[in-house]
Amino acid sequence: MSRSRRIALFALVGVVALAGGIGLSLWDRRAPDAQDLLAISLPDIQGARQPLSQWRGKIMLVNFWATWCGPCKEEMPEFVRAQQELGPKGLQVVGIAIDQPDKVASFARELGLNYPALIATYDTMEVAKPLGNRLLGLPFTVILDRNGRVAYTQLGAMKPEQLRSILAKLI
Amino acid sequence: MLDARTVEARFSIADGYYLYRDKIHFAVEPAAAGLSVPTLPSGAVKEDAFFGRVETYRGSVVVNLTLAQAQPGQQVVIAAESQGCADIGLCYPPTMQRVAVPIPEASVVPSKSTDAAKKSWFN
Repeated sequence: MSRSRRIALFALVGVVALAGGIGLSLWDRRAPDAQDLLAISLPDIQGARQPLSQWRGKIMLVNFWATWCGPCKEEMPEFVRAQQELGPKGLQVVGIAIDQPDKVASFARELGLNYPALIATYDTMEVAKPLGNRLLGLPFTVILDRNGRVAYTQLGAMKPEQLRSILAKLI
Repeated sequence: MLDARTVEARFSIADGYYLYRDKIHFAVEPAAAGLSVPTLPSGAVKEDAFFGRVETYRGSVVVNLTLAQAQPGQQVVIAAESQGCADIGLCYPPTMQRVAVPIPEASVVPSKSTDAAKKSWFN
């Protein structure tokens, strides 16, 4: 196969994989396993280790993001709003930043972040691959129901109406 | 190669995608070949609400890399790291690409015509 043809094939595969990943939603009895995700333990901005399992029993919205990722920053105010309104009803948003602590801390202050911001490297994102994010794109959001099962995943930013309607079904 | 000491690196960026200027980094193996930090061309400026000026590239971007101590006949590897996003609202992890570049023998006069060796970086 010539080099240019190989490159074209790679590009096509990349686009198809990406199209398949975006807007992937799982309303399915055979929900993917969240055990690997819940087993994660990461430092927060203050350096304190936070195991995700501490929030078992909550409706968890785990959002992978980075300060250099424009679409990530644009959707975060909606998560802040959701945490404020639905926190008392059992929602726990957790941000996992593939980023440096000082940049995350600055942005968290600017935004008035009201949920934990944990610091990770791309190694942590390996758990995202079986959940429909093979290319490790950001932002990536995983929503777990109160039983710790994956209820929804979203590659790319979430629209506010979409977020509201999914959470309404889970709360 | 543009001449015996200069490699032209070209990023071909697909439609609907962009790269961040400050996320492009180059290295050479062996380091002794003496890669000097290249000047990256200016990109399109976007004002980011929190981080001020951000420069991005679309279409294609060319960077000339100078290898001050490359030896004639040596084989070096250029490693290029880049990071970018798609307009649909998704950003990718840093991508590393490596290309082997043979440094011409001293007796070879590099051609300036269109068939001069250019490494094309698919991105």
